[in-house]
Amino acid sequence: MAGLARMGAVSILMMLAALLVVLSIAAWPSIEEYGLKFLVSTDWRPNELNVPMKDAAGRVIIEDGEVVMETIPPSFGALPVIYGTAVSSLLALLIAVPLSFGAALFLVRLCPRRLIGSISFLVEFLAAIPSIAYGMWGLFVLGPVMQNYIEPGLHAALSWIPGVNAWLFEDTVRRGSTVVTSEIPLTGSDMFTGGVVLAIMILPIITAISRDVLKNVPRAQIEGTLALGATWWQSSWEMLRYSRSALFGAVMLGLARASGETMAITMVIGNNNQINPSLFAPAQTMSSLLANEFAEASTEIHRAALCEVALILLIMSLLFNVVARWLVVGKGSRTAAAF
Amino acid sequence: MPATGRIKYQRNSRPLYQAYLRVSNRAFMSLCVLFTVVILGVLALVMLYLLSKGFSHISLDFFTQVEIAEGMEGSPGGMAHALVGTGILIALASAVGIPLGMLAGIYLSEYSSNSWLGAPTRFIADVLSGVPSIVVGILGYELLVVPTGNANGFAGAMALAFIMIPIVARTTEEMLRLVPGSYREASIALGATKARTILKVVLPAASGSVITGIMLAVARVAGETAPLLFTAGASRLMTLDPREPFPSLTVAVFQFATGPFRDQQELAWAGIVILIVLIFIINLTIRFAVHRLQAKRFATA
Repeated sequence: MAGLARMGAVSILMMLAALLVVLSIAAWPSIEEYGLKFLVSTDWRPNELNVPMKDAAGRVIIEDGEVVMETIPPSFGALPVIYGTAVSSLLALLIAVPLSFGAALFLVRLCPRRLIGSISFLVEFLAAIPSIAYGMWGLFVLGPVMQNYIEPGLHAALSWIPGVNAWLFEDTVRRGSTVVTSEIPLTGSDMFTGGVVLAIMILPIITAISRDVLKNVPRAQIEGTLALGATWWQSSWEMLRYSRSALFGAVMLGLARASGETMAITMVIGNNNQINPSLFAPAQTMSSLLANEFAEASTEIHRAALCEVALILLIMSLLFNVVARWLVVGKGSRTAAAF
Repeated sequence: MPATGRIKYQRNSRPLYQAYLRVSNRAFMSLCVLFTVVILGVLALVMLYLLSKGFSHISLDFFTQVEIAEGMEGSPGGMAHALVGTGILIALASAVGIPLGMLAGIYLSEYSSNSWLGAPTRFIADVLSGVPSIVVGILGYELLVVPTGNANGFAGAMALAFIMIPIVARTTEEMLRLVPGSYREASIALGATKARTILKVVLPAASGSVITGIMLAVARVAGETAPLLFTAGASRLMTLDPREPFPSLTVAVFQFATGPFRDQQELAWAGIVILIVLIFIINLTIRFAVHRLQAKRFATA
């Protein structure tokens, strides 16, 4: 029994080792080829490209009346997807964290006792809904609503502010000396919709964990503030301050979840491997890139590059999780393990 | 919160300051209520939409027919193959994931007190349950699909087991820890070995809550799509052979939903509802089971 049980425990260690080792080996051709450039290059081109060859002055070379072509090898850079993951996750946190903390305070300090059970159950059930369900809702409901109402509305409401129009609603392309400005078509499949869907998905998790954290603030702390004349909000603020490291852990868990989220984001973010400062342009995250391209990757280097993206995603999520668990564990959070 | 020489909360009694305190207090209190309402409202909106849309597309065909390609007679058919596929995938994943996870949980709770292995295993199990599931799918692809040359149900089941093991391990550990030490001492005092104590006393005492944890893990993997994309792949056929590309409810829903055909999208809605109802039932069962257990078990201990 002791041996068998030890084998079970060792298998958990092996699982993490397998993830790191197998992905590193699979990604090796790409790591060897591109090195650190992989992290900063914005070029993601899985196929060879035929382009007209140019001379030193930048003119197209023509021989015997034919344009001379050259073949550029495929190239891979992960910056667009790293950017997409970072921006969509931060957008999600920006929306979800204030809402969740407010709701957690409500559940701990204001909610009538009769309602606590059912609201808590609802929140936990919603955390268990699979991401593909949120993805379908995002694709068929939120996307069209964004496209037809919210995004045009934001355009009308915000574009008078200097700079905002150029930042959010216009695309500027420089071709030589001419600058072409075009309006970004509002499609509803973009970074903004992706961030909103992610926010909806991480709301229940952050709410549930921060509720548990706030519940564990010692009574004496709260009563102490009240005795000093604090208003309800002032003592709530002290509760948030008192448990700030565990709350930060809850946010990190939400961040880990948002950045690794795959199905829902793949269905709503528009899947375009380019960095565009506008939130209303289609984008791509690391996980949506994997979902879109991994099955179709036919060359070894393409597959290796995708494995390197997976490796980056893995290491990033390990970091987030390590920090989060380190902060939340021991703060009496029952739900931390379940998510 | 030491009062460091200045009055922190009620700085003065001027009417203006008191009014500010009152208004800000009211505002933030209302904001907390409002945020809760917004969260529950948005999530209720999502759920109601999914359910109403999905239920209207559930028919008998959904459960009895396999997918029929667009343009053929009887299209779009149903998702019987995907339902069976998901069932088999979960069964295979459970057959591997539950025993291994439980063994790890037993180790963590019963054997790890004097070992260096306990703390890192516990921590890594927690961290592993947060690894993005698509990464697990790629691991499964590299280990089980590349050698065999084609997507197969077995690889999909192993990817799901990978996700189950840390969850089952941690919940088993936590549930076993709730069993009072006096149970173990009594059993050992009667001459039982440690292994026998665990199997005959500790596990039965915690069986209800361990099963709850296992169902939680099953509910989690039942809705997973990303790890199956490259491992089990997709199939339009009813298949029972896990060496073949394997259909699953979630992957079929994904393909139908992102595909161009309207009647297939309607099948996808129905598929989603089946999933949500399944997960709701599991959650509801757990809730009632946990309440009963908490009331009954260890009341005297």
